[in-house]
Amino acid sequence: MFARMFQQLRLLNPILLFCMLGLTTFGVLYIYSSCSVRDDKELQMLYMRHLEVAVVGLIAYFACAFMNYRRWMQWSCIGYVGMLVILVLVLIPGIGESIMGARRWIFGVQPSEPAKLVVILMLAWLYSREEVKHGAGLYFLSLALVGVPALLILVQPDLGTAMVLVPTMLVMMFSANIAPKLFWTSIGLGLVAASVILGIIYAVERVEMPQERRDMLIRATCLRPHQIQRLDVFLFPDKDLHGSGYNRRQSEIAVGSGGFHGKGYLKGEQYMLGYLPPSVSSNDFIFAVLAEEAGFVGSLTVLLLFLGLIWSVLWVAFRCRDDGGRLFCIGVAALIFSHMFINIAMTIGLMPITGLPLPFISYGRTFTLTMMVTLGIVQSVAMYGRESEHRFL
Amino acid sequence: MDGYGEKRVVSSWRIAGFALAVMLGIIYLIVSLYHVQVEQTSGFSEDQLRQSLRRVQVPGPRGRIFDRNRVCLADNRPSYCIAFYVEELRQRGRWANTIRHVNAKIDELALTLGVPRQISEAAVTNHVMKTLPMPLLAWRDVSQETLAKWAELAGDFPGVDVYVQPERAYPYGSLAAHVIGYVKRDKPKEQKEPINGEMPERAHFYLPEMFGASGIEFAYNNQLTGQLGEQSIQVDARGYKHSVWMGRPSVVGRDITLTLEVGVQHEVERMLRNRRGAGVVIDVRSGEILAMASSPTFDLNAFVPNIRAGIWEELNTDKQLPLFNRAIQGRYAPGSTFKPVTALAALHSPNFNVEETHTCNGVFVLGTMRLRCWNSYGHGEIGFLKAIEQSCNSYFCTIAQEIGYPAIYAQAKALGLGRAAGIDLPSENRGLLPTEKWKEDNLRDRWRVGDTCQIGIGQGLLLTTPLQMAVLTAAVANGGKVYRPYLVAREGLPQVVMTNVWKAGAVELVRQGMREVVMHGTGRRLALSGVNVAGKTGTAEIDVGGVRRKNTWITAFAPFEAPQIAVVMVVEDGESGGQTVAPLVRQVMKTYFGEAAGEPVMATESRVVEVVPEEEDPSEPAAHPGGERGD
Repeated sequence: MFARMFQQLRLLNPILLFCMLGLTTFGVLYIYSSCSVRDDKELQMLYMRHLEVAVVGLIAYFACAFMNYRRWMQWSCIGYVGMLVILVLVLIPGIGESIMGARRWIFGVQPSEPAKLVVILMLAWLYSREEVKHGAGLYFLSLALVGVPALLILVQPDLGTAMVLVPTMLVMMFSANIAPKLFWTSIGLGLVAASVILGIIYAVERVEMPQERRDMLIRATCLRPHQIQRLDVFLFPDKDLHGSGYNRRQSEIAVGSGGFHGKGYLKGEQYMLGYLPPSVSSNDFIFAVLAEEAGFVGSLTVLLLFLGLIWSVLWVAFRCRDDGGRLFCIGVAALIFSHMFINIAMTIGLMPITGLPLPFISYGRTFTLTMMVTLGIVQSVAMYGRESEHRFL
Repeated sequence: MDGYGEKRVVSSWRIAGFALAVMLGIIYLIVSLYHVQVEQTSGFSEDQLRQSLRRVQVPGPRGRIFDRNRVCLADNRPSYCIAFYVEELRQRGRWANTIRHVNAKIDELALTLGVPRQISEAAVTNHVMKTLPMPLLAWRDVSQETLAKWAELAGDFPGVDVYVQPERAYPYGSLAAHVIGYVKRDKPKEQKEPINGEMPERAHFYLPEMFGASGIEFAYNNQLTGQLGEQSIQVDARGYKHSVWMGRPSVVGRDITLTLEVGVQHEVERMLRNRRGAGVVIDVRSGEILAMASSPTFDLNAFVPNIRAGIWEELNTDKQLPLFNRAIQGRYAPGSTFKPVTALAALHSPNFNVEETHTCNGVFVLGTMRLRCWNSYGHGEIGFLKAIEQSCNSYFCTIAQEIGYPAIYAQAKALGLGRAAGIDLPSENRGLLPTEKWKEDNLRDRWRVGDTCQIGIGQGLLLTTPLQMAVLTAAVANGGKVYRPYLVAREGLPQVVMTNVWKAGAVELVRQGMREVVMHGTGRRLALSGVNVAGKTGTAEIDVGGVRRKNTWITAFAPFEAPQIAVVMVVEDGESGGQTVAPLVRQVMKTYFGEAAGEPVMATESRVVEVVPEEEDPSEPAAHPGGERGD
């Protein structure tokens, strides 16, 4: 048995592991940095919490790696239903914990994070079933399967997590080539809708019109006021630098002032002086801390580690022999890419602000653990995916 | 590839396509980061400095002002202000929110510190609109207790800090106020001048420094002014100080040592207290001013830190003109103190015979004009020395008529009248030494003999400042050297402006006359037992809007044998020079010569000692309207 395990171990993707560990190391270092100026002892020790969860995650990673991923696939239906139940439970006051107006936690865990994994597993399983026809029916079914948990997450509210499911789903649909005409049409419609919304916000700001029409146009976007504000800040970054544009501005200053070599570890001024609010510097805006202290060299390193990570996930997909494994890996790659891209792009003002953590680096225990388990499953695909599915069954 | 017989819907091409998309996305991020972190980094670094650096000016204190014995007359003291850094208290939305917030904070602080609010809401608005980057000084010059209270709760008020400003302090209050001059502060202004030769990167606002507005503070402002330093204080988002960098150190202004002697100065001022007038004490050997006073005076400390509008208004509308430096700006007819000049002119005139006597019968008649001598009984037959001693108007009118105006004019001019004495103080008056042409141009009247006679006894159109008379007296005392008077020693000083070359014995004779004045004549109240004082009294009658007034003078020098100082004092609305001013000048002399001066020979209380009738009778009615008299 050990001989077989050793054989399996040789199939483990080393680059994937290396990149993950590299990013986690960055995470621990910069969570330490960003919390070093906090008064609260417990907050200063936040990097230890991250390290702990990384160790637990690594154990889970290997445990998942040695467990055939097809088992996960088989259970994905049950997992999906269970996830929906928990997502509903978390919304019920008394069960779900509310922090800063968002009801996201249940027993200290954010169920929306594993929900991403479950949705990917569910879609991968569904798309790889031979009996499932890849037509319009599947397309709408996928929309429903993603839409229901997305909506439940959206009412927490957690726009970022809900939103990140969309590109993940789209990439998986594209890879599985589901209802191509419908798929491309909806992509087109989505782009049109996005431009219309941005156009409206632009017009409201820049074109002279009576207040009633302004209000009517804003209502037509079906967005909440704070979302409108974020888009507004994105379009007009200099409008309210002390108000809604503050975080964006400060993170941009942090990144920009870092320069090529950075200011040196533990020497970032933006978080140290509190211009980058401490409430976001260790999670959503950790990239700003990193980029300020490690400079362009540091950000480049992180981006290359992400490239290595995502490419090795896709390489696993490439080498995998069955659709389920392939789709799962693609979904995971899409998820990580979306997280990384949106997070970094918002830090430097290329995208509107959405609260999305940077995988492995941002502080967030459920998220880190989920990501490690997910990558563990990807390793499982690396190890077991080259065998015939039939042999497993 | 499908050798395993599995249905493959996920083509490898699509995976490769997605991998490519991932790479493009990451390249896009890398390019953007390069743009932000490498190409634009200086801009962002600047932005960061701008928001986290509080640029504070470090005031450069003004130089101090000392008297000749290093007694400090103008010093600096720290004044503690409580300053609001409004930019750090920025509130969301409109500026009105911030202004409201700042006002609320000021009220809150006023309540906690227990000090009344000093700054109006309008001033806060004005500050935010116009001079935002500078500290808003909500309380100036707070007490030590307030400062101690503030220190305890400073942490509760981010964006508020103590600002130390040096303020002028005058240990002697009003002493030498006119000489020292007062300081003012400008409105805050934008610094556009280059600092140390380089233009500041951004426009800086500076709290205005003090500048001298009058007197020495004005005249030597460039030397006294310190140079502002600059400090950068890194503050966190809540306004706490993080670290301090010294940008440019401040430079203390240069100290200035005056020629004044505090003791003499104080005595001159004491003598003039509750009177209107001026006094100048000059060193006849150099032109150094030992004392210069003008009365009424003002308190220099009232101008610090800012003069209250009420006091300013009062000083400016006061009919007695307290801000006016009578010693250099007051134009007075010199009266009989001018007679030594006429005498000197006469001694050099071919038309004058010093042995000749004239008869004084109390009035000098010239055509329709009657010039009254102060002694209405007349001095009878009177000669040169006696005429000086008794200050006989008839005699001097006669000899003035004999020698003619050009001779008097030339002598007066050679002794420095009609031109600024050139003291290092602003707005010195030139007085008036009229020429015939001047009268024609300005009064549309030709020169008459009467004018000559009147000027011969120091009246008529002639106007001098006390300083001019001091320089003149010094020149008579030192044998003809007209020195440029000065308060601050510098290269090229002492400077002889003009040297009079007199006939042998001429000036000695005049000096002898002035000594006689003190010994037997109108200035007997000048006499001291230890020092031989020589001098001349003067009482100039003027007509101010139909009211007759008398400006009373003494010009004196001592010791007679080897003159050191000349003292000139004028008192407006006095009785007569000999009566009113002589005791004052004697007291100044006494202070200057100290032990050596001895005691007054003649008691000041005339009623007790005077056995002889008053040599100058003030109650005597005027002979004719608009007339002038000497004594």
